[in-house]
Amino acid sequence: MAYGRFLLKRGLQGIGVVWGVVTVVFMLRFITPGSPVDTVAPLDADQETRRRIAEDLGLNEPLYVQYGNYIWDLLHGDMGYSYISSIPASAQVFSKLPATIELAVAASVVAIVISIPLGVVSATRRHQPADYGATTFSLVGISTPNFWLGIMLVLVFAVELNVFPTSGRAYGFADSVAAIYGPAPFFEVATAWLASLFLPAITLGTYFTALITRLTRSGMLDELGKGYVTATRAKGLPESLVKYKHVLRNTLVPVITVLGLQLGTLIGGAVITEAVFAWPGLGTEIIQAINARDWPILQGSLIVIGTAFVVVNIAVDALYAYLDPRVVA
Amino acid sequence: MSDSDTTRRRFLTAAGSAAAAVSLAGCSEGGDTTPTPGDDGTPEPTATDSPEGTPTERPEPETREGYLQRANRLIHDEAPWVFLNRQYSVYGQSTDIEWSPRRDERVAAYAISPANDDGEDVVMTQSQMDSGVDPQDHRETPTDNIVLQAYEGLLERDAEGAIVQKLATDYTRLDETTVQFTVRDDVSFHSGDSLTPEDVSFSINRIVDDEVGIVSPQSDQLIGVTGAEVSSESDRTVDVSLSGLNPIVFQSFATYCDVMNRSWVEENENAYVNQNMDGTGPFAMTNYEQGVEVSFERYEDYWDEPAAISTFTINSAGESSTRVNRLISGESDIAVNVPPQEVSRVDGNDGTAVSAVPSTRVLFNGMRYDLEPFSSPEFRQAINYAIDLDSIIQNVLQTFGDPTGQPTLEGFFGYNGDLDPYPQDQEMAEQLIEESGHAGAEIELVTPIGRYLRDVEIAQAVGGQVDELSNVSATVRQVEFSTLVSQVTTGNIEDKPPWYLLGWGNATFDAIQTIQPLLASDGSLTSYSNEELDRLLEEAQSLPSESN
Repeated sequence: MAYGRFLLKRGLQGIGVVWGVVTVVFMLRFITPGSPVDTVAPLDADQETRRRIAEDLGLNEPLYVQYGNYIWDLLHGDMGYSYISSIPASAQVFSKLPATIELAVAASVVAIVISIPLGVVSATRRHQPADYGATTFSLVGISTPNFWLGIMLVLVFAVELNVFPTSGRAYGFADSVAAIYGPAPFFEVATAWLASLFLPAITLGTYFTALITRLTRSGMLDELGKGYVTATRAKGLPESLVKYKHVLRNTLVPVITVLGLQLGTLIGGAVITEAVFAWPGLGTEIIQAINARDWPILQGSLIVIGTAFVVVNIAVDALYAYLDPRVVA
Repeated sequence: MSDSDTTRRRFLTAAGSAAAAVSLAGCSEGGDTTPTPGDDGTPEPTATDSPEGTPTERPEPETREGYLQRANRLIHDEAPWVFLNRQYSVYGQSTDIEWSPRRDERVAAYAISPANDDGEDVVMTQSQMDSGVDPQDHRETPTDNIVLQAYEGLLERDAEGAIVQKLATDYTRLDETTVQFTVRDDVSFHSGDSLTPEDVSFSINRIVDDEVGIVSPQSDQLIGVTGAEVSSESDRTVDVSLSGLNPIVFQSFATYCDVMNRSWVEENENAYVNQNMDGTGPFAMTNYEQGVEVSFERYEDYWDEPAAISTFTINSAGESSTRVNRLISGESDIAVNVPPQEVSRVDGNDGTAVSAVPSTRVLFNGMRYDLEPFSSPEFRQAINYAIDLDSIIQNVLQTFGDPTGQPTLEGFFGYNGDLDPYPQDQEMAEQLIEESGHAGAEIELVTPIGRYLRDVEIAQAVGGQVDELSNVSATVRQVEFSTLVSQVTTGNIEDKPPWYLLGWGNATFDAIQTIQPLLASDGSLTSYSNEELDRLLEEAQSLPSESN
């Protein structure tokens, strides 16, 4: 019951945050320089043409009317139409979302698969070569800018060795699943999908991997020094059980919190990686929308990212509360 | 074209007014007034004369080209701009294909031939994708490159910029306010529908009339066109109404006005028309993934010879290094907009090469004539003398640019071949600044970031060279292009920065499309006003073009 109330409270808070995001995103248009008309109209368009375009885009209404219309439309799933392509913004934004989620999840998987074992090994073999190797990797990983790493990986593995494509997204996860049942050769589709995903995922996931490695290492070391570890060892439990059942489980609580927060950050923060790899996700869409002052697309993208961030955080809170019931109390 | 009547009428008018000699800005008091051969065969003062001098009498030009050439001379001498460079379009291309770039920056896959079996399926990577594929609902090159594979207009330009016939088999001027096109027979849209004169008139009206479907950003491009109607179904003729003479009406139709299938457009929503294509062009669209990729295959029922390549795919990468990587790794056959720093990588790779062509874009620094110190012609000239254009082109643009000394580019109608770019002469610059009475002036050049090839670096070079003068100091301020656009497009000169860098593309290959909006007193983007220039432009616009 307490857990249910906890989730309800978090859900209501989340709705409030999303509403705040929507409002801020809507207001951004009015405090940033440049008008959408400047993008839609040719440079030499006369003032009459500009006025007609502004009217056509609905920019002549008072601010409160535009805000009210926007919220009302949003509640009905309508994000407006792209100023540039005239395509419904919701369709355009959601068509780009899978690519970004795919990249963020792949980067997270890379990070989890590498970082947690690396952190455990580093902590359990403190001051040994494995520990030095892991901490050096963490330091380099945290210090390396995403865009530089991406460019280097492309030059080495795509341009020189030619084992991965330089950029782009050949297929998606859904294409691969469809290929199991469809006429397209599954192996070919899945290989192309994973090949195009590999370098962007490594690029995006490296910082994350380094971060979680350090967090896991320090968490493990912290837990290993606590009294309950001595007690479990005194009870005669095998060392592997002490480390991997008791110590690691307690270490993972803060790690999961960071994982959740970082997943939201990854969805919003894939902009640079997407630009380097011409990855057709929300990051690329946001850059194009900013350059074009295509507000319906920009607002839609930011709202989706903000909402994803909120949802992921609520899910993390729920998991955190499940792992550590003291949070609910 | 039946321009003879109007040419003769205008000639008589011009000849009558020529009796009254006009003053010419550009002759310095006490300067070298020795006449030199003029643009239109009349005596002209030298190019370096001061604009504040004694007027020189000479006969009026007799042709539109003559007026435009004289306008260019006046602008050169009055120096309302710091004349910079003509930009080049630089491409990387695979040796699997044979292709030469066009001067108007458009890439037509119809002009690509395979050099070997790998060249049958061609991929091009440009810097951005389309803004929807409605051919009449955009006005930027990346979208042009996509829609022109499937759509075509009545007229078009070849690689050198000359007008050629496409869906029109004939075009003629009936009178001052009417031109007529004869529509090609036996042409089919990709949907299978036959092309009719009704489709042509609908397409023209859809651009110039807001009530017919959309508010087209191309309406300015067909300015002066008021509407179109089918004059004869049997003769397949369409009459186009004009508000006045409009001497560059055919040049305009050669740039924009793709022909669409009326019934297809009317049956579908705008969003659908922006994601699908039904043109008459040499390629039919097979796949459209918004913002990601567009694929075409050869249209076998094309009215002309079918295209030489089988398929054409266009994708995009905003990062220039990514475009070049795709080219070098063999994923693309053409990389658009290869920056100077990437040229050696493309040229040094087996299987790829760089192709460059002078573009239709001119880069300049606008100077507001209504503000000190730029209100002084001597000061404006001094800034031009301070610049080492050759050095900028050599070191910043790595030779991918040409110096300019007038707003009209070489090869354009109205270009004045007698005008050279200002040479760098710092002593002259300092002297002119003293004469202007603005010694000690502090000026700031506003430049957009990343809008034009090496724009910031060019601005920094200009600012640095001006700052080297002993009696003026210059700084550079970088702004987002959208910020600069919002300042220069308000229609109010007072909203513009006093000194700013801008580029201007002119796909009509006619001087008027650069000078009118940017330098005429009533130009939508003007930073200058000069009654004599306005008069020359007015005269030019009252005469038909002799060629082009």
